[in-house]
Amino acid sequence: PKKVVWPEDVKAYTSRALASENEIPGISREDTNTKLKEVLTYHAENDLLQFIRWSTFKLPQDFLAEERGIPPRFEVASLRPQYSPYEDSIERGWMCPPRTNAVMPVPQHTNSRKRKSVDRDDLRADRAPTPPWEKTKPSLESRMTPAPPKAKKRQRKMAKEMLEMNSKFSADLEKRKQRFQNGNAAQVSSPPSPRSPVVEIAPAGPIVGTCQDLKKRYFRLTSEPDPKTVRPQYILEQTLELLNREWAASSKTDNEYTGMCSQFKSLRQDLTVQRIKNAFTVAVYETHARIALEMQDTGEYNQCQSQLRALYKDVAAGNPTEFLAYRILYYVYTRNKTEMNDVLAELTPTDKADGAVNHALDVRSALALGNYHRFFKLYRTSPNMGINLMNHFVERERLAALANMSKAYLTVSLSFLSDKLAFDDNDKCLEFLREKNAQLPIAHLTDKGGVGYTTVRIKECATLFENMRSSAFGKIDIKGQI
Amino acid sequence: MEAALEPFREAYASEQPWLVAQFLSPLVRPEDAGRLYDFIRSSNEHQIEGDIRYALKYSRRSRMTPAESSAWTDIFVCYWKAVAEILRAEEAFNQSRLGERQLVTVYEAWKELSTTIMKYISNGGIPSWNIVVMYISANHLRVFAIKADEQLAKLKDVTFNTGFSDDIVSTGPRNVKLEEAARVFNKMFALCLGDRNPDVKESRKWGVYYLANLQFKTYFKLNAISLSKNVVRSIEAQRDLPGFELFPKAHRTAYKYYTGVLAFLQEDYAKAEQYLTEAWDLCYADSKKNQELILTYLIPCRLITKHSIPTVALLSPFPRLERIFAPIVACIKKGDLTGFDNALVAGEDELVKRRIYLTLERGRDIALRNLLRKVFLAQGFEDLKEGQAEAHRVRKSRIPIAQFAAALRMGMHGEGSGQVLDEDEVECMLANMIYKGLMKGYISREHAMVVLNKKGAFPGTGV
Repeated sequence: PKKVVWPEDVKAYTSRALASENEIPGISREDTNTKLKEVLTYHAENDLLQFIRWSTFKLPQDFLAEERGIPPRFEVASLRPQYSPYEDSIERGWMCPPRTNAVMPVPQHTNSRKRKSVDRDDLRADRAPTPPWEKTKPSLESRMTPAPPKAKKRQRKMAKEMLEMNSKFSADLEKRKQRFQNGNAAQVSSPPSPRSPVVEIAPAGPIVGTCQDLKKRYFRLTSEPDPKTVRPQYILEQTLELLNREWAASSKTDNEYTGMCSQFKSLRQDLTVQRIKNAFTVAVYETHARIALEMQDTGEYNQCQSQLRALYKDVAAGNPTEFLAYRILYYVYTRNKTEMNDVLAELTPTDKADGAVNHALDVRSALALGNYHRFFKLYRTSPNMGINLMNHFVERERLAALANMSKAYLTVSLSFLSDKLAFDDNDKCLEFLREKNAQLPIAHLTDKGGVGYTTVRIKECATLFENMRSSAFGKIDIKGQI
Repeated sequence: MEAALEPFREAYASEQPWLVAQFLSPLVRPEDAGRLYDFIRSSNEHQIEGDIRYALKYSRRSRMTPAESSAWTDIFVCYWKAVAEILRAEEAFNQSRLGERQLVTVYEAWKELSTTIMKYISNGGIPSWNIVVMYISANHLRVFAIKADEQLAKLKDVTFNTGFSDDIVSTGPRNVKLEEAARVFNKMFALCLGDRNPDVKESRKWGVYYLANLQFKTYFKLNAISLSKNVVRSIEAQRDLPGFELFPKAHRTAYKYYTGVLAFLQEDYAKAEQYLTEAWDLCYADSKKNQELILTYLIPCRLITKHSIPTVALLSPFPRLERIFAPIVACIKKGDLTGFDNALVAGEDELVKRRIYLTLERGRDIALRNLLRKVFLAQGFEDLKEGQAEAHRVRKSRIPIAQFAAALRMGMHGEGSGQVLDEDEVECMLANMIYKGLMKGYISREHAMVVLNKKGAFPGTGV
């Protein structure tokens, strides 16, 4: 445990927590102390101390009060997010200005939440928290003594059961939400998390986006995002269309790709914070994956692939077989036997009937047996974007085939090699061979018809090709990206 | 409580770890069915600690030091609570009222017990020979963890990220409890491995291999093969372990088996064969299940390293293996390629599950070799040249590729495999044979022939 330096406002927070005038009847000092320690340790360990506005942060006894169903003190700013790094950040310029006509005013949203929570928590009726902007001065009611101890204990027990019920409810609610979702995440709201919000920084419910900008640069989130910066689904759909058009028209340089990636990542982020999980999400990930494949970005492709894998389980949309074929090809590339085994175990008969999947499986078995003839045939006929994946390992397979042939044949013609190794023409083949072996023993001859052709005495290169093959099949380095 | 603890006291006094372990077990032998119930009823939750402490510390019949008795008091309290949970779960199960997380509670209680034992061994509260007790309780913990995970799996599905990551899905928390248990085992393992006690009899190192095997079992189930490699590495790095042969045979067999399988999965077939053969030799002749397990990996291994196939005699005492391997083996012997492919597809599910499918695929090479060899034999002999005696008869070594192609097509014809086998592919397959050393010679494209080595065209097969 490293030594933590407590900033001044944390110390102020601590003294406020323990001050006698801030005590809530029904919550002992020990409990407050324990909770305080919890809060501080959590934030210290995760390096979050500087992100909290301690001056207005909820006191530990307020958290406890919430949990136990006791009316909190008046200072509680319960529903406004406690953390706002955005206000201090330099990137303010990127934030889109709130458009009053399109924006759903937050208090309304709060009220709907409040209504929901009252529906559910009949027993916690006395706990309706009101946002600070609706209250001007501390009211007497909020400082009333709570119900007698017996009721409190029962209340606490009920509250605990409510907690468990609520989590089940919210899970069911989520599922129902997905089914009835029409793209607008606005109606969606789960009851505010009754558990102490300090321990998990999880937002109380999915954010409703209000931003109208189509494009947005990507920034990693460290806390609850501001709804003004998050785009709702109908905007995101337009964004995707725009990005598609831009990419199709672009010249696909690395710079352009980086920009495109940033856009896509922010797209994905917006979907995540709004908990949008539907056919559109699948489309976004698929598109990003395809672009990554085109640009040979295996890391990004992999990220999208793992997300898609889980999404396909829940959302019946998109092209799961296309991406299953990519997965198989990817495992061929990384020679990941364990994962390959798992994939084979999960294949359904429908999968096996699919053309792309079949192609990928054929590639796998051809290579397993060393059948380079079949492999290169399949290379020439790979569907969708499979060729981008195959390009990753086509070179090492060419070396393997060469090593193979150099042991079996004495001399072969260049055209034979070029054809076997799936080169576009003889020159490309020659280039490749020269690159690997400067002293290529070739001979230029003429046949009976007077046509010139080239032969290669590959038997002499046998050891060389064998060595190159062994090094090509060394460990694959995916540069740390799973 | 006194009476209940009597067998423990005896076992403890005579320093018999197995009997102590038996006492602290969650299982009952059929002749002693009421043991756990008796134990529970001899006290209640409030008095349990006092009762045990009295029975161990103050009773005249106990022969422990005060430190030991307080350690054992803690341990027994944990045990008592765990047994209470177990019995509760059992009753609920019998009445079909098993709570949703009840098995998880059982697991947690037993984990408490295991970690308490570990704590007291680590701080010297109880003598080192109790590592047997510790690791046997760990074994039970593993079983409880698996059951707890099964229950948990029914509760939830894929979880979605509630935090601030960019992507919607986090990899779901499956097998949480087993992972937790694995961490406990790791700590126990480290405790045993890192023992500095110079006295071999008091050493904790005797638990090393058992715990290693326990970890292997757990990691295999969790599909975390890489973690198993760490275990092996730590053992290999330790200099002063007692000699391998000094450990109990049971530990040794299991260890060789697991390391063999690990090597197999890493495609290091030479090492795998060595370890698995050792395991096979060490294995208790009557434990059919273990033998079957070893053979499941040893047979594909031998296929690759020695190109040899198991005899019918070897497979006959193992009906399950026979079912999987026999058709494949028969086709390899005959050189029947389509038959081989079909057999592989038929057994695919089981083979993939045991991760031997990809290895057995390579058996196709041997089937192919056998087929080609038949073609070679069918060619007959060269005509005798002048001055050569009958004994010098040599087989024809120049074989047109077309012959091989015909043989291959014969196997595929009528099976509707839908694949047209062109000459180029046949050439490719022949090249592969040569490359892999299953056939000796070279291919001459100009003459569309294969020129085989006169002195041994198919190494290892007698021609």
